[in-house]
Amino acid sequence: MSHLAPTSQHTIGPFFPRTFFTEGDNDLTRLHAGAQPTARGETVLLRGRVTKEGGFPCLNMILEAWQADASGRFNHPADPAQPLADPAFLGWGRAWTDAEGGYEFRTLLPGGYDDPAGRRAPHINLTVMGAGLMRRALTTVFFPDFAGENAADPVLNLVPEPRRGKIVAVPEGEAEGLRVFRFDIHLRGNAEEETPFFED
Amino acid sequence: MDTNFPPPPLPDRFEPFPPGIEPAVPIEGYPNTWTHTPAQPLIRRPVTRTEATGPLELWRKLPCDESNLAVLGPGRIAQGQLMHMSGRILDEDGRPVRGAVVELWQANAAGRYYHPIDQRDAPLDPDFVGNGRVRTDEEGRYAFFTIKPGAYPVPVKDTWWRPPHVHFSILGPSSLSRLVTQMYFPGDPMNEWDRILNSIPDPAARRRLIARQTHPAEVGDGWLGFTHDIVLRGRRATPEA
Repeated sequence: MSHLAPTSQHTIGPFFPRTFFTEGDNDLTRLHAGAQPTARGETVLLRGRVTKEGGFPCLNMILEAWQADASGRFNHPADPAQPLADPAFLGWGRAWTDAEGGYEFRTLLPGGYDDPAGRRAPHINLTVMGAGLMRRALTTVFFPDFAGENAADPVLNLVPEPRRGKIVAVPEGEAEGLRVFRFDIHLRGNAEEETPFFED
Repeated sequence: MDTNFPPPPLPDRFEPFPPGIEPAVPIEGYPNTWTHTPAQPLIRRPVTRTEATGPLELWRKLPCDESNLAVLGPGRIAQGQLMHMSGRILDEDGRPVRGAVVELWQANAAGRYYHPIDQRDAPLDPDFVGNGRVRTDEEGRYAFFTIKPGAYPVPVKDTWWRPPHVHFSILGPSSLSRLVTQMYFPGDPMNEWDRILNSIPDPAARRRLIARQTHPAEVGDGWLGFTHDIVLRGRRATPEA
């Protein structure tokens, strides 16, 4: 079988069209704008700020989120439990940051699952794209509710111990009757400041 | 929209990018790369289910019905050189990625984007927005009618120019096959000077970002034709017989 080399990444640049966004793109709980949100699981808000070197806000960054449903399943053939996945949950969303670097996703608290690499704690994978980022920046959100599972997560354990806390979201009260979690992303700084980023 | 699309052939093996394909960063003369690019080493993580999967029915969230950027409405034809842009989305085994979401955006013929961030003193075209979104067909094909974009200067201290280029964002069947890239035009001397294109170390990888011009007869009257295939990450662990 032939092997083709993958196409190189480039920056998404500053001009990713605003017209690509429609109402509800940052809502992972609905399959599309006209659909009812899923009835399973706990809906939460994930909010944060994206900053660059020096702590300055990054406006106009594009974020994409992907996660399992409330039971830790994916509606995807690579998940052996696909038939049990929540059919009303998309698990994907997209947002862009405002002038203060702020973003928000509405989603479900994800479930964990067993993986050949080890038991995954509940988490959300985030992709950050924007001007100045030639490659997508990949990080993962963990939740403070699951300290025991986090301690055993095979991906979180790859992060140097002093930096692990930076990718555990912080509870920030309630809004719209939902629990709010804060997850700030600092793109570039020293090891104490910078958000841990992954490569696949 | 057809929702009974056959499932795409799913890759189940993902190898790291071969050397020379990923851009070398930060880039001299592109200040944002010096303030945004992570400075700490990236942490290589295993491919668990979250990385191997992705949304397969995204066209329900992202309407994929905008393929004609050149004609905004009756009598509203964009200014510039009309162009038909087509190609295939493939995986590393050369298999078509069907049902992929392909987003395209670009500057107008004067090199200006229809975007609030672009405040450059170049004309906007009232008949050109410059973005479209389609879904690949069973052979992995996509196609857009648009116009050839203009070049533009990058507003930094030591100005440099972007050659005409088209932005692509592709959402494939897994998170690992997510790709954001740009496409360039053959024969443009500015390609040799572009700091972004030339951040790709491997010359062959750079050449693969340049489209091929097709004979006008292949497209039809009135349109320049360009084809450009894009390869997403992912292979099958067991090759098909």
